[in-house]
Amino acid sequence: MSIQWLSVQSFQHNQDLLAAINKLSIHLRLQLEGNEDAERAGEANKARDMLSSFFRELETLVKDTERGEEVPVLGANPRLRQLARSFVKAKRNRRRFHSSLFRNGAGRFQQLLHSTKKEDSEALLESLEELRVLVEEHMHVDAERVLGEI
Amino acid sequence: MQDILRQNNADLLREIRLLRERLEEAATALPPELQPFQNWIISFCDQLQATALQNLRDLNLGIDSILGNILSETQVLTRGVRLFNQRLVGPVLRARESDRLCLKVLRWIHSTHPLTQHIPMALSDGDFASWPQLNWPTIYFMPPSAQHRLLYLPLFFHEFGHLLYACHEPEMDELVKALQKVIAQFLEPSAQRDDRHAQSEAKRRSVIVETWYEWAHELFCDAVGFQMAGPAFAYSFSMYFRVLMRDQYHIRPEELEHRGHPVTWLRIKLLADHARRMGFGADAEVLEDTWSKIAATMGIVEDYYGFYTDGFLPSIRQTIEDMIVEAAPRAFEAHEASAELLRIDSAATTILPVQLLNQAWRKFLDNENVYTGWEKKVIEDLLNNKSLF
Repeated sequence: MSIQWLSVQSFQHNQDLLAAINKLSIHLRLQLEGNEDAERAGEANKARDMLSSFFRELETLVKDTERGEEVPVLGANPRLRQLARSFVKAKRNRRRFHSSLFRNGAGRFQQLLHSTKKEDSEALLESLEELRVLVEEHMHVDAERVLGEI
Repeated sequence: MQDILRQNNADLLREIRLLRERLEEAATALPPELQPFQNWIISFCDQLQATALQNLRDLNLGIDSILGNILSETQVLTRGVRLFNQRLVGPVLRARESDRLCLKVLRWIHSTHPLTQHIPMALSDGDFASWPQLNWPTIYFMPPSAQHRLLYLPLFFHEFGHLLYACHEPEMDELVKALQKVIAQFLEPSAQRDDRHAQSEAKRRSVIVETWYEWAHELFCDAVGFQMAGPAFAYSFSMYFRVLMRDQYHIRPEELEHRGHPVTWLRIKLLADHARRMGFGADAEVLEDTWSKIAATMGIVEDYYGFYTDGFLPSIRQTIEDMIVEAAPRAFEAHEASAELLRIDSAATTILPVQLLNQAWRKFLDNENVYTGWEKKVIEDLLNNKSLF
């Protein structure tokens, strides 16, 4: 009996996260360039909800992870624990990750998600871009397990 | 960059359309049990197609600032199509009449729970595994030879446990978290030191506690297996693993860290404990004796290196019981698992899978020489009688 259930759940969760990041990013960029993009507004709001609920879950795990390796992260599957660890590492790597999300944390990101100010949209776009990098790097393991290597 | 992405999306679109045609062709010869799955993958195919078309429309906008996101969307789509192509269309394109034995059992299992009765399912070849996700059909994997026999079908009930966990994930995670806290307290040393050795011990305790997330999940699925299928599950599980490898009995401490499953011998002990508490003491004893004899022959002494001690047992029992209450799988009824099943000659009456699988195990354990002929006839009857299950 294998633990494929975990890889496939994590794989699909990351696919959904990336799709949400892209939909919201395209919507924001089009708006910033003066396009109304009403067609995608509903999907962009769904993406906001998904990212918001993801960060509510991740925030608790990140706090536990920041307490050090001597403190276990409880009630979370190993892929999510790993993502929380990658997030904490990224926060410490200012050379690669310097957006608001990694400097100011998930609380500020939640505010940016629902702000209508232009400067907040720009900060949100930068955060989404770095989050996308983090998720893409994280999902490599699941993709390899689910799809295999050529 | 736009031309590159246009080329990839157009190619993905062709691939999706080709797969859709193949799926429609296959629909005519499909076992009826697979129809809900077929409907789902056709609609999933349409979603993939819509994404490819959206990407092409976005490219036609000619806005450079969104190219990075269209690239990422194309990557998401490429992986989605690959997953679809490699794993999801197979159960339909390769469907055979003989799949119906497993599909009938799986359809019945799904029908027993209000949260799973409308979830489509499919069967694929491979070692026992499942892909349990909400908003997706569940794919069950089973080795080809086992698909044509009764004895290993009970292992589907363990896989169904993963689906039940997914259906109740927040509540289940909270219960597991509470168990992890109890184990952490249990492992806490009576006196605290503040040196490097103490730090390394604290890290080790943390690893043990984290590992119990995965282990509790698997033990819950084992308990679902017994709760739903009774002794048939325990015998099936035991037979499948007992002579597979040395590491079913013993695993080195460093390999226990964050291991996806508990050592199988420990799972057998806990399964036997569950069986005994449900009134199947004789079956529990057979299980434990079998594994002890094989372990003794290999010269293996039971040791879980602190990842499990008998002190954990009361909390594990309580947590698994609470998880079972939360998930509420259909429990087998006494007559479906009793030793009296040996006296029933034919399965061609109103019989449910659980009764049939327990009957199969009782007959196999009673006289394996006559079992093969009996099993063949039962499977034929089952496939010919559409009213069964």
